[in-house]
This record gives sequence, C-alpha cells and structure tokens, in this order.
Amino acid sequence: MAERTARVTWNGTLFEGRGTIESVGSGAFGPLDVTWAARAEEPEGLTSPEELIAAAHASCFSMALSNGLAKEGAPAERLETSATVTFVPGTGITKIVLAVRGVVPGLDETGFVEQAQAAKAGCPVSKALAAVPEITLDATLA
Amino acid sequence: MPRIVREADATWEGSVARGAGVVRASSSGAFELSMTIASRVADPEGKTSPEELLAAAHASCFITSLGSELARAGTPPEHLDVHCTITMDEVEARGHLIVASAISARGRAPGADAASFAQAAEAADVGCPFSNLIKASATVTIEATLEEAD
Repeated sequence: MAERTARVTWNGTLFEGRGTIESVGSGAFGPLDVTWAARAEEPEGLTSPEELIAAAHASCFSMALSNGLAKEGAPAERLETSATVTFVPGTGITKIVLAVRGVVPGLDETGFVEQAQAAKAGCPVSKALAAVPEITLDATLA
Repeated sequence: MPRIVREADATWEGSVARGAGVVRASSSGAFELSMTIASRVADPEGKTSPEELLAAAHASCFITSLGSELARAGTPPEHLDVHCTITMDEVEARGHLIVASAISARGRAPGADAASFAQAAEAADVGCPFSNLIKASATVTIEATLEEAD
C-alpha cells in the first residue's frame, strides 16, 4: 500500500484570490501557485488541477507500458508520452488524449500498439479516471 | 462553455525496475520532476509519483469548489487549507488500484457555522470534477473543520 499526500491553501475569493500547493509528502515540489484565471484562461506559468491530472496520467501510463514491454521480452529504450486533458467548466473533464512514441528494439508497430492499449486499460490512473467520457490513445514507434 | 486544455509530458528510459522517468507540466512549465518505480511504491525519497500528482490535483480542485460553495452560501472564506491523501493498494485479481482519496479541509469563513461549513464541503465534493471521476475506483471521504475567526 502506498499513501501520497498534498496540502493546498487558498486566500480570498475564487476569482480574485489565489491558492498555493504548499507541499507534497515527498517534498518533490511546492510551493506552486494556482488561480482560477490560470485554470480557466491562460496558464501564464501556473499549474492547475487539470495539468496535474495530465501529469499523473502520462507518468502512470509510461510506467505501465514500460513494465508490459519488459514482460513481453521487448524492453523499451525510451518512451515519450503526452497526456492532454480537456475540462469544460460546469460539465467536467470530458476528454483525455494519450500519445506515446517508443524506441523499442525487437518489437513491431502492431506489438507496440497492443502493449500501449493494455497499459491504457490497466494503469491505476486510467482505472481511477475510467469515468472520463473519452480517453484516446495514439501509439507509434519512433 | 470554453474548453480548457492542459497538457503534460512524461519520458521513461530503461526498464520499470531500474529505469527512471521525468514528468513535465507542458502547458504552464510550472514543474519538471523525476520519478522511479521505487519512489512510487516504496519510500518516495524526494521523488514524486502519479498518486502524489493526483493528491495535488484533488486538493487544488476541491479547494476551489469549496471556496465557490461558501461564496454561494453568502459566507465567502478568508482562508482555506486542504490536505489530500491518495492511497494505492494491490487488490486481489484487479492489480494496483487507487482505492481511496481522503480530503481534510479547514477554513475560516465569517458568518458560517460548523453545519453550514460541512454542508459546503459536501456540495464541493459533488461539484469538484475530480471527486466525481475518481469515484470510479476509489472511496472519497471528506472531513471539514471550521476554524474560529481571529
């Protein structure tokens, strides 16, 4: 079992105030400021819940794919993944687009796509986000 | 309604067991962080993990919903402090799952009482998009404590 923590504070109103991701359990990042304007308009250097979800999904997927390829006997030299999260205020998170390019000696495109599909279905963050209406995957060998 | 799009990138080199990854906030450039499988499932040793990023996402999503609910109730907050703990566990026959997200919220909101603060926290859980999503695999719990005004 693994527990991971984060602490966030907010001062003032939603639209004029600002929040701060003060710290996380590992100490790896923080403080990071967040504002409503940065979330809903241009980020201007500030992160947002949706960007953090994208980061969680891209990294979880990469680990699962790396593990699947190794089990298949074709370990990856390098995987490059991006996750793009679409958020519609009032509706919710409507779409996540995963795109991965892999350097995988000894595996053809079909085999790579199969492993990428399995990682998309099986990684813990994908399972936690299973209620997102649309999650797409584009997998190619570099 | 406008569509808001945010992107992050991860690269991974080498095997899961001995390799390492880097995750970047591509839309904002706000962070670039390294991770390993050991830092994910064992002692983090200063490295982040997907679950820690989700804890930060849930806490920051919930805190804006709570602020918004308190304002709607006519008791806008002066200060809010939200702590989130995400738990990943190995579930028999289902592999690793994110099984719980525990939110603990404290705040000062002049005019609110304990009951209305707790009510706003419940409404914030319903309104926070991330709370809604993660319920697909996890139990979300909310603890809310109103602090006395200075």
